[in-house]
Amino acid sequence: MKTVYLLRVLLIAIACAGWPVSARSEEPPRIPGAGEQPILPDEYASVSTELFGCFDCHGVSGESADPEFPILSGQHFYYLYVQLKDFKAGRRASEIMQPMVEELSKDQMKLIATYFSEQEWPNTGFKGDPAITAKGETATGAGQCVQCHRGGYDGDSRVPRLAGQQREYLFKTLMDFKNKVRMNSPSKSSLMNSFEEADIDAMAEYLADF
Amino acid sequence: MSKSAWKKVLGGAFVTAGLVAAGAFTAGAQEVQGGTLYGNMNTVSQDMMNRAESDGNNFLHTNGNYDQTRYYPARQINVNNVKNLRPAWIFQTEIVESLETTPIVVNGIMYITTSFNHVYALNARTGAQIWQYKHKMGPITTYCCGPNNRGVAAYGDKVFMGTLDAKLVALDAKTGKVVWEQQIADPELGYSETMAPTAVNGKILIGTNGGEYGIRGFVKAYNAEDGKLLWTFHTTAENSVGVWAEKDATGRNMLRDIAAEKAALKKLGDPYKTLGGGVWQNPAYDAETNRIFFVAGNPSPDLDGSIRPGDNLYTNSLISVDLDTGKYACHFQYIAHDVWDLDAVSPPILVDVADKNGKMVPGVLHGGKTGHVYIHNRDDCSLIRFSEAMVPQEDMWVLPTKDGARMLPGANGGVEWSPMTVDEGLGLVYAINLHQPMTYHVESSPYPEGKLWLGGAFKVIPTEEQWGNVTAVDYNTGKIRWQVKTQQPMIGGIMATAGGLVFTGEGSGMFKAYDSETGSVLWSFQAGAGVNAPPASYTVDGKQYIVVGAGGNVQLNYKRGNNIIAFALPD
Repeated sequence: MKTVYLLRVLLIAIACAGWPVSARSEEPPRIPGAGEQPILPDEYASVSTELFGCFDCHGVSGESADPEFPILSGQHFYYLYVQLKDFKAGRRASEIMQPMVEELSKDQMKLIATYFSEQEWPNTGFKGDPAITAKGETATGAGQCVQCHRGGYDGDSRVPRLAGQQREYLFKTLMDFKNKVRMNSPSKSSLMNSFEEADIDAMAEYLADF
Repeated sequence: MSKSAWKKVLGGAFVTAGLVAAGAFTAGAQEVQGGTLYGNMNTVSQDMMNRAESDGNNFLHTNGNYDQTRYYPARQINVNNVKNLRPAWIFQTEIVESLETTPIVVNGIMYITTSFNHVYALNARTGAQIWQYKHKMGPITTYCCGPNNRGVAAYGDKVFMGTLDAKLVALDAKTGKVVWEQQIADPELGYSETMAPTAVNGKILIGTNGGEYGIRGFVKAYNAEDGKLLWTFHTTAENSVGVWAEKDATGRNMLRDIAAEKAALKKLGDPYKTLGGGVWQNPAYDAETNRIFFVAGNPSPDLDGSIRPGDNLYTNSLISVDLDTGKYACHFQYIAHDVWDLDAVSPPILVDVADKNGKMVPGVLHGGKTGHVYIHNRDDCSLIRFSEAMVPQEDMWVLPTKDGARMLPGANGGVEWSPMTVDEGLGLVYAINLHQPMTYHVESSPYPEGKLWLGGAFKVIPTEEQWGNVTAVDYNTGKIRWQVKTQQPMIGGIMATAGGLVFTGEGSGMFKAYDSETGSVLWSFQAGAGVNAPPASYTVDGKQYIVVGAGGNVQLNYKRGNNIIAFALPD
C-alpha cells in the first residue's frame, strides 16, 4: 500500500511540474517546504503518506507559497472534505487530484480535511494594485459574494475562505467556474458566467489582498 | 367596541399596574428577584404569553405578542420626551458579526443571541452578564446570507434556540445549561436554523432555512418539556402543481410558459421533494381558532422554473394550520411558480381589518418583497386588498435570462425578513423597505445535493442608486399614509409604541424614533455599527427601556459590531 502511495507522490511531483501555468509565471512551480516536513500528530498517522503527498504541491502543512496552488492550511473542514469527495466522484475534474483521491475512504478524507482545517492560515504578503482591487471590490459587491463568504471573505463550513488565498489560484478557479471547467458548484458557475474576465481578474486581486 | 379598542383600554390598565408593581422591587435592583406582574422570576406561564400585548414590563415574544404586532403598550417614552432618550447601558457580545436578535425580557432578565448561536442572559437594568451559552457547532453547516440568529423563545423555566447546524436546543433559563437538544433536520442537505422559535400551549414551533439548497420546507412542533416531535407540516405539498395560475396576487401576468411546464411535469414528475419553501420567521397564533399563520419562502431553485413545473404549492404563500395537529387550514399564494425569489418572508400580523364592504373582520397582514402589504381575511386566507407599492416596480414580471434581465424590485425586496409593526389605534402598519436594483440570470442545473442551488444568479447593478424607506400604510384602504426615504436599503425590523413612536435602525448605524402619525424624525442615535435587528422594549423598576442590537448585517454587508444598547430617559 505504501508503495502505491509513494508512486502516487512521484506522480504528483511529475504532474506538478507539468501544471499549466499562466503567462505571469514561466518558471517551473516552486515546491514549497522541501526538507521542512513537519512531525504529524499521532492521530494523522493513518494518512501521513497522503498528507506528505499534499505538502508537495500545497506546501508544508498546506501553507502554499505557490501562487497557483491553493492554501489549504486553515481552510474549512467541510469545504475540504466536499472537494475531496467531488474530486473522487469526478464532480470536480482534475488530472492531478483525481488519482490522488480515488482510493481514499470517507474517513481518510475527513482526517485529511481535519488536519488542514486545524492549521493556521498563512499570510502570503500579497499586495494588490489599488486600482484593480477597487474594481474587484465593485465586482464582488455586484455578485453579493459576502452573502455566502461573509464580510471578511473568511467563509464557514462548506463555504471556503477566500481572503488571502493565492491570487493565481483564485483567478484560475473563478475562470474555471465561468468556463464550466469546474462544475461542482453550479450557482458559482452561473454567477461567474455573468462577469467579464477582467472583472474576475480584479476579484482575484481584491480577494488575495483582503 | 372593536377588538383593537379593547386592547387599548386593557393595555393602558396593565401598563399602569405593571409600573406600580415593578416599583415595589426597586430595593433589589441588582439581584435576580422574583415576582413582578404575572409570575415568578424565570418562569414564563402561558397566561403571561397570552397577555403579552398588554404587558408593559416584559417583552416575551420575538414580535411582541402572538398577533405579532410589535406594538409595545408602555408610553413612558413618548413623542414629547423622546428627544431626551440616551443610552442606559451597552453590552458587548463575544461575536462581532451580523446581529439580528430580538431581546426577550422576562421579569428583569434579558435573553439575547448572536451569530454562531451564543446566548446571553443579562440583567435588563444594568446590562451585566448573568450567563453565556456557546453552542458547540457541528462541523457541517449549510446556510446562505450569514450565520445569523434571531433570538430565543422563553417558556416555562427554559429558553429555546434553533442553531445553524439545524438543532433545537432547550436551555435552563436560570443557568444556561442544556436541558435537551433535538436534531431538526440534516444540515448536509441544506437545512439550518436562524429563526427564533415560537412557544405556545406547551409546544415549540420552528421552521427551517434552505430555500437556496433544494430542501423540503416545513414547520415542526416539539414538546417544550422533553423535545419530542409532535407534528410536521411540509410547506411543499405532495401535489404541488396547483391551478396553473397565470397572474400574481395583484393581477399581473407572470408570463409563465404553461405548455412547457406541463410537458416538464410529465417528464420529471412533481418536484416537491426538493422544492424549498423555507419558513424562517415566526408564526402568529390565533387563540380563537387555535390556528397558526406563517409564510413560506421561495421555491428551489430560485431562478430556474423549468425543472419545477406547476404553481409550486405552498411556496411564496401565507399558510394557516391547526396548532394541535399541524393540519392544513388554508393558504394564499402570492406568486405561483416564482422565478425571482420575491418570496414571502416577513412574519404575518393578526389584526382586525376592514373587508371589501367596510366591515371589520379578523385579518392577516404580510409585507412582501414585492413592496406591497397584503391584507387577508383570517378565516380562509383570501386576499382582501393589497397596498400601494412602497418601492419602485419596473418591468414586472420580465423573465430571467441567461445574460440577465433587469426588474424592480431586486431579489431582496421590498420588505425582506424584517418584521413590520402595527398601531391599531391609527390603523397603520409600518414597514421598512429596500430599493436595490438587480438583474436576474437563469441557468439550469440539476439538484447538487445540499450545495447552493439558485438556478442562475442575482446581480446588484453597481451603477444604480440604492436606498431604503420607512413606510406607514393604512391597512384598511391600502394607501400609503407617510413615507421617509433612508440613505441605505433597510433591513432589520421596526417597533411601534403607545408613546406615539416608531423605532427602527439603519445600516449606517443610525437608530431613529419617528412620530408614528406623521413620520417626523424625533430622535436619533449613532450606534457605531449597523442597526439591523428588530427593537424591543421593557420596563423595570418603573423605567421604560428601548433596546436594540447594533451588529450590522451580512446580507447587505453593513458594518459589523457586537453591541446590545438599552436606552432610557434620564432620571
